[in-house]
Amino acid sequence: MRTLAGAGDLAAGPGLVCAAAGDAEQGARVRFEFRVEGGRVRDARFRAFGCPHFIASASWLTDRLRGAGRADLEAWDWREAAEALEVPPAKFGRLLTLQDAVRAAARNWPGAAQSTV
Amino acid sequence: MRTVVYLDNAATTPVDPRVIEVMLECCGEAGDFANPSAVGHEPGRRARGRVEQARAEVAQLVGATPEQIVWTSGATEADNLALFGAARFHRSRGRHIVTSRTEHPAVLDPCRQLEREGFEVTYLKPGADGIVAPERVAAELRDDTILVSLMHVNNEIGVEQDIGAVGRACRARGVLLHVDAAQSAGKLAIDVERDCVDLLALTAHKVHGPKGVGALCVRREPRLGLAPLLYGGGQERGLRSGTLPTHQVAGMGRAFAIAADHMVAEAARIAALRERLWAALATLPGLTLNGHPVRRVAGILSVTVDGVEGESLLQSLPDLAIASGSACASTSAEPSYVLRALGHSDRLAQSTLRLSLGRFTTAGHVEYAARRVREEIERLRAIVPPGLGAGER
Repeated sequence: MRTLAGAGDLAAGPGLVCAAAGDAEQGARVRFEFRVEGGRVRDARFRAFGCPHFIASASWLTDRLRGAGRADLEAWDWREAAEALEVPPAKFGRLLTLQDAVRAAARNWPGAAQSTV
Repeated sequence: MRTVVYLDNAATTPVDPRVIEVMLECCGEAGDFANPSAVGHEPGRRARGRVEQARAEVAQLVGATPEQIVWTSGATEADNLALFGAARFHRSRGRHIVTSRTEHPAVLDPCRQLEREGFEVTYLKPGADGIVAPERVAAELRDDTILVSLMHVNNEIGVEQDIGAVGRACRARGVLLHVDAAQSAGKLAIDVERDCVDLLALTAHKVHGPKGVGALCVRREPRLGLAPLLYGGGQERGLRSGTLPTHQVAGMGRAFAIAADHMVAEAARIAALRERLWAALATLPGLTLNGHPVRRVAGILSVTVDGVEGESLLQSLPDLAIASGSACASTSAEPSYVLRALGHSDRLAQSTLRLSLGRFTTAGHVEYAARRVREEIERLRAIVPPGLGAGER
């Protein structure tokens, strides 16, 4: 929690993909921004409201998804973050919110139909 | 090891060195270690003397006589003895109990058990300021009401209930009043006679005494019937069997005597530090003080921070020992039931910090804590998604 890599926003411009998921009233909301170039994620940023595991997982994802393609985002599963960051089972529900946001980003991919999330 | 500023005195307090000194005198072979029930020999009589001195010191702090003090293992046992003891002894008079939704689990859980045993419990909702209006209590008293249980000071938000007004209403109707004074003894003036309190739960460790010892103050005139929870040696006039821990009892007595000597000045000093802390935090937008602004104990500051999740804020502050909600409940992910009873949403209840000050808190501690809490609130607010900033809902 001391260093939150990937926190913040990307500059507006071509190839910017945004997606959000969750509800702060339910304890977790996240928003991702991805810069897509050549069909791959070149850069990523996040903003999040939630518990430490949720924020840390969002931060970790901005690095993990660098270089990923649309299919990678569509297939990304929350269990990978759970394992990598040793997230306790009580927090697994929060990670599903991250999965929702990542998959929404895939739907918002340049050229894809826009998400309503 | 990193230095941590301790601001969790509502959870427990460090033992005062003067208390430790007295306790050590009751531990070793050369000290007053003997069984205080073994009054047939000199060491036993010396231990008994320690116990009786402590009994007088505890009684004096709450306006009671020494005979009214029954030693327990802490406030939880005292609450249990009061509730189960009074309800079971007086069940032939009625089966209705009145309490509030913001009581400590040491009261609420016994109430739920008493419901399973056939008692009916009314749980009063406090106002948004955490105060349970005495007239609301009075309005709930019925012919079959046998007991009211109300805490003096709430452990999460620090508000002080008007136990005197509640006590007079109960006494007028012949209803017993039990008060959990775990957070107020030694910090606010208590007089069980003046306030018509029949049963008063006390603990040592919230007032710089040792953990593992407390007391129940039981009305004697007229004598109040109480069914014991423990059976065995018949100690404490049969109300609480078990060998008394002389060192802990003596420590509690010393802690209460010290509190009695310094209560007014100490409360003023701590209240000033609390106000300084709140003033430093309140300049940030989106911070709310929980509980009545004036009717509160000196040391507890409960603050809801809009736009920041409480657990994340807590984890960002490893250099501060503070709590999110009550220490008793903070191992749970559930939002505080006390804050929900005050009308907070789950999100705001989870975005709440409790900073509690004590005898050893300094101005330097408060200044450091204020700066660090502000820094981390601003850092975490800077990364929340749009629409969730301070004041945005």
